[in-house]
Amino acid sequence: MTKQLHILRCSGAALLTVVAVATGCTTVKPYQRAQLNDARMQLGQRPLDQPDSHVHTYREGSTGGGGGTVSGGCGCN
Amino acid sequence: MKKRLLTLACVLAALAADAQTPVPSAYPPDPPPAPYTKQTVSQTTLRLLLSHYRQTGRHSAVTGGDGTEELTVQAQELALTYAPDSAQTLVANVGVDAITSASTDRIDYVLSSASRVDYRAHGNVGYRRRLAADPRVTVSGQSGFSLESDYFSLPVGAAVTHRSPDGSRELTLGVQAFFDDLRWGRVNPGYYRPVKLIYPVELRTQEWYSTYRRTSLNVTGAWQQVINRKLQLALYPEVAYQQGLLATPFHRVYFADDARTVRVENLPGTRWKLPVGAQLHWFATGRVVVRSYYRWYWDSFGLTGHTAQLETPVRLSPFLTVAPLVRLYQQSAVRYFEPFSGHSPEATFYTSDYDLSAFTSLNLALSLRYAPHLERPGRFGFQAFDVRYSHYRRSDGLAAHNLSLVVEVLRNRPRPAAN
Repeated sequence: MTKQLHILRCSGAALLTVVAVATGCTTVKPYQRAQLNDARMQLGQRPLDQPDSHVHTYREGSTGGGGGTVSGGCGCN
Repeated sequence: MKKRLLTLACVLAALAADAQTPVPSAYPPDPPPAPYTKQTVSQTTLRLLLSHYRQTGRHSAVTGGDGTEELTVQAQELALTYAPDSAQTLVANVGVDAITSASTDRIDYVLSSASRVDYRAHGNVGYRRRLAADPRVTVSGQSGFSLESDYFSLPVGAAVTHRSPDGSRELTLGVQAFFDDLRWGRVNPGYYRPVKLIYPVELRTQEWYSTYRRTSLNVTGAWQQVINRKLQLALYPEVAYQQGLLATPFHRVYFADDARTVRVENLPGTRWKLPVGAQLHWFATGRVVVRSYYRWYWDSFGLTGHTAQLETPVRLSPFLTVAPLVRLYQQSAVRYFEPFSGHSPEATFYTSDYDLSAFTSLNLALSLRYAPHLERPGRFGFQAFDVRYSHYRRSDGLAAHNLSLVVEVLRNRPRPAAN
């Protein structure tokens, strides 16, 4: 029951975040994107993240969530 | 009358005048301008990745949760990205890891330097295309392989991405399947073919598992959203389902009975995983960017995990960036975990793999990026050089150092457009 409540709370928080973000966004014109297009602002995983991400996949039970493989493809758990 | 005559004289003089007398040129005449031709620019990027990883610890799963975890991995990978035009991209990479592991040597209880070394070869190809019918939609597909002495994996994946008309939102839905085979022998002299599952030497009197296959199906989502001119967010909800042999056949488990029974690790044949990741990137000042990441994870083995990461790349000059990184991680144990000699002999599923135990970990890293982005039309030009040192420490005593290096070169080549 506690676990279900925890999942429910996390789902609620995630939903609130999505709603807050979706309603709080402003339109950014292409000529206003200089800062968003900076290489450091790039979303997702970068090549330099790959070796550490690989280590985390092997040495930790959690995987996925935008970084590395969720499951399969290695002899790890 | 005088004024009219003067005006007429000026007009005639202007019409008849030559500023310079043409003289023969020492240089050939300029060619006539070429007619306009539409061109596309193909872009080729080559990236070399090298890393050296060293690990120490004292909870090896091969020896039942009590034994050295010394490990060294030298990894090298070459990646190619080729975009013949703005609509298509082809990606390919190949790599080899050399693994020196003290714990896997204990499968046979024979400490020989030759048996300590293993290799992993891997390769992937992928193709991505923006649809002509709807340029806001991109589809992609990929496949490849991963090969070790005791593992072969065949991944297949596809994804579709939709971009909003104003470019502020991007949604991606992907599906990936991994078909894995855990039999040993593919890269071993005298065999070079899949032979059988490899068990610890004293446990080879019986066949512990009825299958050697592991199948994984991953459904991944990505929602990337621009919030304002300095802030963007991404959410990564994923669902994964695994079935087959989910335990590692050469992991020992010691039981808490007088006979000190030892068996091969045993885990359920199915597993659900549910990770949700979130990235928030903020362009704080002209010099500083804040990159934050959080992940929540749950799986049907009873493991929950939280990951928080913060990286702040600071631009020291137009070409040089330094980025400190801190990553905190916490996980609960799977319900089948017990330490060395901690399991009840009546248990159905059991493991003493400390990667599945309850622990916290801290990862500190510092990276340096030198990116002059040199352009040499038609030829490869040096783009960027990245180096990162990373230190990883787990609360159960495992510690690791990782040094990584990425070198990137790029070539832009104009060529006539197809139409």
